[in-house]
Amino acid sequence: MNAILSKLGLFWRAWRTQHPLIKDYYAELAKLLQYKLADIPMLAIDLEMTGLDPAFDQILSIGIVPIKNGQLQMAKAQHKLVSIDGSVGQSAVIHGILDNQLQDALSPEQAMQWFMQQSKGHLLVAHHSPLDLAFLEQGISLHLAEPVKLLAVDTLAVEKRRLLRQQEVFKEGELRLGACRERYNLPVYNAHNALIDAIACGELLIAQMAAMGDGDKLTVTDLF
Amino acid sequence: MDASELQPISDFLSALTPFDSLSDAALQRCCRALTIGYYSKASGYVPLDEDHPQLYIVRTGAFEVRNQDGELVDRLGDGDYFGFPSLLSGDKISNRIQILEDGLVYHLDPDTFNFLRNESREFDRFFNRAYAQRMRHQGRFKAKEMATTNRISTLMTKQPLTIDVNACVADAARLMRDNRVSSVLVIDNQQLKGILTDRDLRNRVIALGHDGQLPVHQAMTTSPTVLNSQALVFEAMLLMSECNIHHLPIIDDGEPVGVITSTDILRGQSTQPLLLIGEIERQSNLESLINVSKQIPLLLQNLISADARAEEIGRVLTSVTDALTRRLIVLNQQILGEAPLAFCWLAFGSQGRQDQAACSDQDNGLLVAGEMDEHAQGYFEALTKAVCQGLDSCGYVYCPGDIMAQNPKWRMTLTQWQQKFEHWVKQPEPKALMHASIFFDMRCVFGSASLFDSLQDHVLANTKGNDIFLAGMAGNSLQVSPPLGFFKKFVLERDGSEVKGIDLKHKGNALINDIARVYALFAGIKEVNTAKRIRELMQLNIINRKDALNLADAHEFIAHMRLSNQGYQYTHNETVSNYLMPQQLSSLVRHQLRDAFKVVHDAQAGLKLKFTRSF
Repeated sequence: MNAILSKLGLFWRAWRTQHPLIKDYYAELAKLLQYKLADIPMLAIDLEMTGLDPAFDQILSIGIVPIKNGQLQMAKAQHKLVSIDGSVGQSAVIHGILDNQLQDALSPEQAMQWFMQQSKGHLLVAHHSPLDLAFLEQGISLHLAEPVKLLAVDTLAVEKRRLLRQQEVFKEGELRLGACRERYNLPVYNAHNALIDAIACGELLIAQMAAMGDGDKLTVTDLF
Repeated sequence: MDASELQPISDFLSALTPFDSLSDAALQRCCRALTIGYYSKASGYVPLDEDHPQLYIVRTGAFEVRNQDGELVDRLGDGDYFGFPSLLSGDKISNRIQILEDGLVYHLDPDTFNFLRNESREFDRFFNRAYAQRMRHQGRFKAKEMATTNRISTLMTKQPLTIDVNACVADAARLMRDNRVSSVLVIDNQQLKGILTDRDLRNRVIALGHDGQLPVHQAMTTSPTVLNSQALVFEAMLLMSECNIHHLPIIDDGEPVGVITSTDILRGQSTQPLLLIGEIERQSNLESLINVSKQIPLLLQNLISADARAEEIGRVLTSVTDALTRRLIVLNQQILGEAPLAFCWLAFGSQGRQDQAACSDQDNGLLVAGEMDEHAQGYFEALTKAVCQGLDSCGYVYCPGDIMAQNPKWRMTLTQWQQKFEHWVKQPEPKALMHASIFFDMRCVFGSASLFDSLQDHVLANTKGNDIFLAGMAGNSLQVSPPLGFFKKFVLERDGSEVKGIDLKHKGNALINDIARVYALFAGIKEVNTAKRIRELMQLNIINRKDALNLADAHEFIAHMRLSNQGYQYTHNETVSNYLMPQQLSSLVRHQLRDAFKVVHDAQAGLKLKFTRSF
């Protein structure tokens, strides 16, 4: 596991960072990565954005749901809207968040602080995590004035490795969240928002972990 | 937080009894309290934490509840619950939950569960009732018989015939004659004193030389065995056979309210088929027979909705067909006169196997004892034409392949039939065999049994142990495989772009029929009904016990699915077909169906190994 951490430069970053929230995040992460996989607290996340480019587009909402002992904790599932500069414009068609709904939203700075607090002591999980992480890292370095490197399990990458191991040739779209869920007999969710997709991603992860077999022997490296 | 945020979960729960009785607020609180877990078949059982009982709500997947002895208590699929007995009783968890198919499960903690029970009476009552049922139904998957569940009150004769204790036996006999019953209750001041039956009149009056003036109380059976009207029919049957009696007075609150006889029970067990067959026997012309035959689809529906076993349904429907056929032969013989030669009416295919269902066509032939002269030719032609036409009018349409007794080709003497079969057996060309296989499922519906035996014995003597012929038959039956794809997914039939579903008949039951036929011909078994063939093969140790039971179960399950699907199509005014859409099934049933097809697949592999040498 230390290899993963070194690769991210986590030790180095933890020592260097000034921001207390980010310092805590690194410290807790280094600790929990030593646990057995089944014992690692995780946090499934999903974002809605105004577009796909982290340099220009902004985060609209964040959904999170913690996973403890292999079970999603609905009591601690949360959904936060984030206020943005300008209008949601055309992207409202996809995520359904309208400008007037953003009135009670958190400011980006509040949102990033809240997110770092929630992430503390959890291993992040997302479907196609590089995109979500890019937005979060961008947002944090912008609003908390401190560069950050986040670590997340990518359920898409887990699935891709599994399919490749089975020597399956996969077609376009087979790694999409809905398609992956179908392979595990998970229900179809028609509604979409950051929270529902975070739940959908979390469920996929526990299904993937169940498929890997003996829970006691798995370590976090099995997910990377 | 907005109520709609957990919409997929609240939508699911609010469609479930008893969660549908909860207020919105209570439902939201419930959604918020859930934890979500996933259970994989590979881990075998759901790990249940003794110290933390929870309510488990199945979201997807399939599970089996088994008690300490490993007996099946319940099967669960989407929207079913487990774990509630120990939540309610506080007892230790005693059942085990076996995972049949991977699935997502919601967990609800005891505090929220109890909060919801307080919140909604219906919620509370639902789980209490489910708990009571679970306790009662420990053996529910063993056998489901109507006799065990029905109450006596549904079958008994109400307002029973009574007579005063001081009347004479002649009066009693007259009363029984006038009301056409076989017993009368003897009462004194509204109180039951005894029962007087036909048997008592014979044994205690006539046999002893008494005359009709004997008072009833000297002839009656005193303090007879009685039951109350809420007792189960099953208990009445038990009592009757234990005490060797045929009449039971029914007493509620000390007063006689009815009588139940063994005939009542018999009638209650299979009312409609027996009545229908009785009615067929009574009809004296074709028109009235056609009229009676209109009840057959209804009979099928009743049997399906009564959840009868598919094998029984097939046997019942076939016995109706047999009765119709026999009645048509008898009626036409009344017109045409006695037959010049002894003959047998042969039934082939599904009627032969006794597994007819909706919309069967006729497959039959005629076996005549000796050479037919011109007069006999004419007689049998007229007879068979009339019977086949009659069957057609009664809903058994003409056979598209023209395998009917009215076709001179299938109206033959014993020697001709024997030669025909010999030809098939000795020159087993695949194409010819495919068409001929239905002839090997033959049964005599009318006529001389010994004549039929001489044909069947001859055929079986030829097929028994005949490797080349059996290889041909086996090869034929392996042409079609069950509808399972590579990853055990269902393969659906398509008609152009339209998806028709799984063909349960041709890709399911027909394959099992084929397998059983090859083995039966190999062993020289006379039975043609598939279930009975399998049973006999098991007894002869030709198929091992486990495989035979699996195959018989698969046969029953697929046939049951086909019938209930047809029942559904019929009641929804859809075209009745053999096609089933797997999406309409719960994942539990899908799982079972997959297993059934897997059994067929394995049996085919066994058949291939035993009879064909192409490997």
